[in-house]
Amino acid sequence: MRLAVLMPVFNEQERLAETLADLRVTFAEDSSASLTDVTVFLVDDGSAPPIDEAAARASTSLMRVVFARHAVNLGQGAALETARRLALDARWQPEAGAFDAFVTMDSDGQHRARDVLAMARAIEGGADVALGDRFKGGSDVPKSRRILLALARAFERATTGLRLSDVHNGLRGFGPRAMAVIRIRQNRMAHATEISRRIALASSQRTALDVLRVVEVPVSVIYTRASLAKGQRASGAIAIVMDLFYGFLFGNEPRR
Amino acid sequence: MSAEFTPAAAALVLLLAALFVHDFVTLARNRRLLLVQFVVFAGGAALIVYPEIARRLAHAAGIGRGVDFVLYPLVIWLVREALLSRRRRHEAQERMTELTRSIAMAGAREVTSAKVNGG
Repeated sequence: MRLAVLMPVFNEQERLAETLADLRVTFAEDSSASLTDVTVFLVDDGSAPPIDEAAARASTSLMRVVFARHAVNLGQGAALETARRLALDARWQPEAGAFDAFVTMDSDGQHRARDVLAMARAIEGGADVALGDRFKGGSDVPKSRRILLALARAFERATTGLRLSDVHNGLRGFGPRAMAVIRIRQNRMAHATEISRRIALASSQRTALDVLRVVEVPVSVIYTRASLAKGQRASGAIAIVMDLFYGFLFGNEPRR
Repeated sequence: MSAEFTPAAAALVLLLAALFVHDFVTLARNRRLLLVQFVVFAGGAALIVYPEIARRLAHAAGIGRGVDFVLYPLVIWLVREALLSRRRRHEAQERMTELTRSIAMAGAREVTSAKVNGG
């Protein structure tokens, strides 16, 4: 299996090194040997000071790192989209052929490499989209987050029609067919809802060929004080709804 | 119809005149814009000095006060301006995103491992 890992990074120099080390070790120890090629598409979203790419200088025979940098900060959605374009770009395909699986993850140590593998396995197993479910994965989700996520879940159910156990989880897996249609136009945090919406839209097409098979995979999300301080809060939810509204108003809606 | 030249009216007309002089100096090249502006400003000044005009127009249109006759279209115009500028900002942001992205993609490179120790 040829795996592309899409990783936006913003002001995470130290934890980025740990995250990459975790990936490197986990992939090297992976005994199934189905993993033949891993490319991490690392996009620095205008960090200040810029991310020192020496942190990524961890390529092994199994894992290479492709690094790109936004000159200005655009937002996580924009960085993910840049990573997606790079992963689909002919220039960066593995020698053996195009990628079989694409996994998005955060760079700040919230996600574990073994869960990235679990996502890739789900795609290998025939799913088009694999979404991380932090509630089944035994994560210690703080109460404030539980309330916020419950609201977000209700919002997404109402706006996209997708019934998910967890939403706005940065750990997602995509097969090549799904990756081709998940084009992100929401630059900031609203991209998570946009992704759900694109999945729902693609799957609402009547032809069986277009329907995406979605599975939820238990993952653990590690909450640290730093990740909580940087992560989304209630005011962010309002910003997300406003971004979605302007996207709707000015034509950010995915076209059918 | 008599002119009502209160201190407030005088101040407003003076402000209009000052704005026009400023634009006459800075926009001297754009004759058409200046002409349109002069007509609009002159109309505004007339409404200030002769409130009776607005009052009569308002009554004819079924609006209570003369001020409201000027105010309602102004609010509509302001809302439209606000939405249009939002859209322009949104489009500018999209262009900026594409520009930043293409620079990033053009400059993307594989981070080569300079002999990783223990990696």
